[in-house]
Amino acid sequence: MDPIPVRSAVRAGVVGSLVLVYVALVGLIERFADLKLVGEQVTLGRLLLFLPPFAVAYVVARPRVVAGERRVAGPRAGLVAGAVSGVVTSAVFGVAVVLADRFDVVRIRHVFIAATPGLIDFVTFERGVVVGIMILLVLGLASGALGGLAKTGDRRLTRPLAAGVSTVILLGLLQRIVPIAMQELGIEPDFLYSPRTRSLTWGGAIGLLVLAAGADVLWNRSGPETQRRIRATMIEQPAARVGILLIVLAVLVALPLLLGSVISQVLGSVMIFVLLGLGLNIVVGYAGLLDLGYVAFYAFGAYMMALLTGATLNTTTGSSAAAFSLDLNFFIAIWLVVVLAAGVGLLIGAPVLRLRGDYLAIVTLGLGEIVRVLTESRWLQPLVGGPQGMRGVTDAAIAGYSFRNPQHFYYLALAFVLLAVFVSWRLAASRIGRAWNAMREDEQVADAMGVGTTRYKLLAFAMGGAVGSLGGALFAVQIGSLTPASFQILVSITALAVVILGGLGSIPGVVAGAVVLIGLPGLLREFEEFRLLIYGAVLVAIMVLRPQGLLPNVRRMRELHEEEEAQDEWVHRFADEAAAAAAVPGGTLGVEEEDLT
Amino acid sequence: MSVGWSHLLELRNVAKHFGGLYALSGLDMHVDPGEIVSVIGPNGAGKSTMFNVVTGLYGPDEGDVLFEGQSIVGFAPNRITRMGIARTFQTVHLFPNMTVLENAMVGQHTRSSSGVFGAILRPPGTRREEERIRERAKGSLEFFGSRLAGYRQEQPAFSLSYANRRRLEMARALATDPVLLMLDEPTAGMNPRETIELRDHIVRMRDQLGLTVLVIEHDMRVVKGVSDRVVALDYGRKIAEGSYQDVASNPQVIEAYLGTKAAG
Repeated sequence: MDPIPVRSAVRAGVVGSLVLVYVALVGLIERFADLKLVGEQVTLGRLLLFLPPFAVAYVVARPRVVAGERRVAGPRAGLVAGAVSGVVTSAVFGVAVVLADRFDVVRIRHVFIAATPGLIDFVTFERGVVVGIMILLVLGLASGALGGLAKTGDRRLTRPLAAGVSTVILLGLLQRIVPIAMQELGIEPDFLYSPRTRSLTWGGAIGLLVLAAGADVLWNRSGPETQRRIRATMIEQPAARVGILLIVLAVLVALPLLLGSVISQVLGSVMIFVLLGLGLNIVVGYAGLLDLGYVAFYAFGAYMMALLTGATLNTTTGSSAAAFSLDLNFFIAIWLVVVLAAGVGLLIGAPVLRLRGDYLAIVTLGLGEIVRVLTESRWLQPLVGGPQGMRGVTDAAIAGYSFRNPQHFYYLALAFVLLAVFVSWRLAASRIGRAWNAMREDEQVADAMGVGTTRYKLLAFAMGGAVGSLGGALFAVQIGSLTPASFQILVSITALAVVILGGLGSIPGVVAGAVVLIGLPGLLREFEEFRLLIYGAVLVAIMVLRPQGLLPNVRRMRELHEEEEAQDEWVHRFADEAAAAAAVPGGTLGVEEEDLT
Repeated sequence: MSVGWSHLLELRNVAKHFGGLYALSGLDMHVDPGEIVSVIGPNGAGKSTMFNVVTGLYGPDEGDVLFEGQSIVGFAPNRITRMGIARTFQTVHLFPNMTVLENAMVGQHTRSSSGVFGAILRPPGTRREEERIRERAKGSLEFFGSRLAGYRQEQPAFSLSYANRRRLEMARALATDPVLLMLDEPTAGMNPRETIELRDHIVRMRDQLGLTVLVIEHDMRVVKGVSDRVVALDYGRKIAEGSYQDVASNPQVIEAYLGTKAAG
């Protein structure tokens, strides 16, 4: 019989309860109390209440290494340990609820503004504290047991169920988008989404669950050979590749038409961050130079676009002309911006050439801040308007077809994203990409093998800057007016998060990262105020669970692979032995002692 | 070849110190075209420091380093590589996550020239150059026979065995199309059979590829087998120079290796 890790289950349960108390106190649970996912009953708030016991149980039931031996917990142990941790999570949380109720929840609102009587009501299911906590305990136990089973149960059962449940939750969350798209496609969405609650109908949810689970079962029953063949066909057959490419393009082109203006606005922002991510990916992912001041290029691109296309300064009384301004067409100005930004990349790169790692990160952080301070400064006010900023950036209109409209802007941004993707891809697969790669892996050795590291560092900053400035220039077109508030350090952090989340050095990863970090919070407006909290949680989760990123590039995947560590350990041992052997003079020279005498 | 130089590589009165410690002091030595020269000496004698000074990783504190009659002091390592000096490291330094072939292709970097526009637009000239880089890299891998051939070329470098990592490092150095190849303890960590194999490779590097080779080596069987000339260092100075027999029987060398008592 498997031993049941009771102690770690209890410990994990306490940790889970702390997470739960935190989530409740920052207001996440109550905020989503009314966001119905399925029918009237399943709300995101309720789901959040039972996510911690479930997750904690899942973690407790994972295989553990005891005395060098990997022990996989069986379903029984998983079930019991999960249930224990789940009930502990709920119990400790319950104690917190009782305390809050005793001391009168209104009194702790001075500190925790989200702690309201409504929150207490919600977490006790509006049945009073005693009954409510009983229900909490039972449901905590149940979700803990489920979490334990999800990890230890028969994969043939848990995997399709996981696929089904996550599909339902995802489509439940996308309730503002999917029905619109369905209507545009001429499908009546009422069978799936209830028009009254906007959530999934129970019938629709069950149907989706069965569909997704069925698809998962089918895919897994097809066997590894068929799966391999399908993958190989998709990747290797030129016709299939072109076909997939065309389908992707068609979907990309159709998206704003299907989703309407509000969501196109979000998609436009996603595109801007894809551009920033692609540019930063060249600097950080390809060349391995950690740049925390990337917002500098974003700001440069935006303000330069404004100046080149005749924007004016905001003043208290109206507007006045900037100290320098041209009135170029967008499609001419954009190339000027790109070339100038590459020059700025050289300027920023030059002083930091000798810095590595942490030092480079800190100095670039400072350089990014300098750019923001400059945009706010009195000194540059005649040029960029200081805190009041500028307005009247071109809308890039062609024959009256304005790109300020979110649906139109999307296409403009898409074109530049495709260009940047192409450039990134070609650079990565070239002599230059190889040189960057070598430099990232070992700068000194790359230099000794003939790669001019100075030149390639500067080139990385220039190319990264050029691509990033595209993001800034398009941002200026998108909103038409600029203030320094848009160029906070947060942009640098977000761009870096996009790159890391997707996987350093990976182009599909950048797109995935931007969709997750920019797209999802934009689509689910309730998340807006918790955006940074969720960024932090997502990044920590990624670093722990999938350090190579969502869609890693093959090489980076290797880099973080356990195999390497094992290999290195082996090599070091080997090298140490060799060095020890060489250090003993008699060891090698002894062979030849007769010759020496 | 220009006129006016006799030694391919020449060190004149080179000194290098780290704090108060003299790793090299007043070192004179030279390597002539087509020679295989071995550098021996106990640990800490300054052998690797000498390599690092020649290849530009350290600047010498005193003295001059001449390659083909031209001073290369102060040149960046990549420039020295471009001039025709390639090296390996005492502890293997590959690009572990690049494939074996890519590692060797990096060696060709300095013999190719396509830039950003070539990379993005990929005109025929760039394609041809890329193809040439690939062929040249494969050629240098094939110098080691089947050891680095076939499927191994597409595998990441870290997956190689220790001996193969050493071979790959040499192949990467060969791919820079050098005139002078500098090997820092190429047989360290190799078993006796691999050591013999490598000894033959070093001789072939000169006879088939026409390279001049400067090698730091501890294994006296290799030193004996390959060297036209042996230079012995101790405490950063040259203590003996000449044929293997001369150096191996030099009392100072024996003392350096074995200590006074054993020599006495």
